[in-house]
Amino acid sequence: MWQTFRATFRRNYLTMRRAYPWSFFIGNILSAVYTVLFAYLTYNYVFLGQMETRFADFAGTGDYISYVVLGGTVYSLAVSMLMIVSRALITELREGSLEALLLTPSSRKGYFLGTGLQGLMRVGIEFSVIILIGWFLGLNLTHINGLTAFIVLSITIGSFFAQALVLGSIMLYFRDTYITQNTLFIVMALVSGVTFPVQYLPGWLQPLSMMMPLNYGLQAFRSSVIEGSGLWASRNELTSLIVLSLIYFGIGIWAVQVTEKRVVEKIFD
Amino acid sequence: MKELIQVLGAEMKKSHRLNFHSSLIYFSLLVWPAITYVSAYYSFKPFDLGEYSPLNRFLSAENIGLFLLTGYLGYIFFWSLVQSAWQMSFERYAGTIELIFLSPVSRLGVIYGRAAADLLAGVWLFSTFAFLAAVLVGGVQIAGWWSVPLGLLVLAVSAVIWGGFLNVIFLFSRDSGFLYTILDEPMLIFSGVRIPVAALPCWGKLIALVFPLTYVLAILRDLVIEGYGFTQILPSLGVLLAVLAVLFLFSSRLVILAEKHALKTGNLNLF
Repeated sequence: MWQTFRATFRRNYLTMRRAYPWSFFIGNILSAVYTVLFAYLTYNYVFLGQMETRFADFAGTGDYISYVVLGGTVYSLAVSMLMIVSRALITELREGSLEALLLTPSSRKGYFLGTGLQGLMRVGIEFSVIILIGWFLGLNLTHINGLTAFIVLSITIGSFFAQALVLGSIMLYFRDTYITQNTLFIVMALVSGVTFPVQYLPGWLQPLSMMMPLNYGLQAFRSSVIEGSGLWASRNELTSLIVLSLIYFGIGIWAVQVTEKRVVEKIFD
Repeated sequence: MKELIQVLGAEMKKSHRLNFHSSLIYFSLLVWPAITYVSAYYSFKPFDLGEYSPLNRFLSAENIGLFLLTGYLGYIFFWSLVQSAWQMSFERYAGTIELIFLSPVSRLGVIYGRAAADLLAGVWLFSTFAFLAAVLVGGVQIAGWWSVPLGLLVLAVSAVIWGGFLNVIFLFSRDSGFLYTILDEPMLIFSGVRIPVAALPCWGKLIALVFPLTYVLAILRDLVIEGYGFTQILPSLGVLLAVLAVLFLFSSRLVILAEKHALKTGNLNLF
């Protein structure tokens, strides 16, 4: 497993450095920055900082700018992580290297772990840049509980990895990336509390948020960064996050195996 | 003229066959724009939308649903052409662009034909949604039956001219994906789709002036939210026509330049 991990990591690192150094990178950073910029303009210039009375209760904080900057940043982290891991196999299929990969006795766990960790490198740089820009626009970091924030973020990234396995197998099954990924991302942005608390949504839409790891990850991350709360304060969100990750991970591992078999059958049909 | 109609028909047929080969197209035609609109609507909910809302300086807070709906309708018209132009660059990869340039067909005919065809295909479904939603949201005020068709006509003509300009850029540029990132979302933020242009700071208003969508949305909202008559919108219509004329002249000049460049160097990359 570690050999495959190292090899995949190295290969993807070289691809990132040599083939696509900027395009995805800039695109991801810019779309997060646009989300933050939109919130900044709306808050300061349209509404002059006047919030609705229930916002602070729903959001757990009255600091709208910090709320949105963190929302936009973790959302872009989720999108990047989901894209990097879930598109791995279908990219191999498109480039013609999937057959070779499936025929070798290499470890699939090592492959995905290598892809995920290498992706994390790129995502980490994006994350830092967006936080820095958000900080210029008014993100308040004075109360941050650094250790808790780090732990929460790591668990959240793990849950995106598990969700990506499921998404990846759906993509491979339907041989489509464009519609599948964009539909998920648009729905995720609506129901996960990225730019507004889920409680504002109509009652029938709210249960959808319980399927999104992003929703729980964001709640816990925000309270550790804005309020400086510890792990214990977010125990409910963290438990939901871990349970969701385990469910996605189980389904993901099973689905990847099933779709791989189907793809092999189709190839040699 | 006959040739132009022929080109338009051919481009329409080609584009339809290319895009509608699978029913998944309905996601990008209706589901995505509709969910994005709903998302935009709810992202205003955390703000004070009551009687003393600062939003009332620019528009009545009750009209926020209709404001966003007209904004998104305009945006979808323009966005479908950014998508169309992006697909235009596939002609380069597929190697068909040389064939088009070898044929005696009018260059501008192809460029505007493609834009018009993709516009029709891309917006009919969301426009229907917008009409139904406008009835539900309420607040529409019009001076006469002609207001809505006139608004749509202004929108469609401006979108085609904007689309033609983008097609030219995407056709002759080597790495056009980058343009997609810098044109798409800034248009959403600065041209008055989600935030009233009057609310923007000075530098934001300057950026807004660059996008034709800004002028189109102002006219559309005057027609269906403020209930302006024809004479009242004439000054803004004049400004819009001037902007479109400049854009059209610039695009056609660019096509001539690019083709001259290609004839001389054998290279279609102008920039």
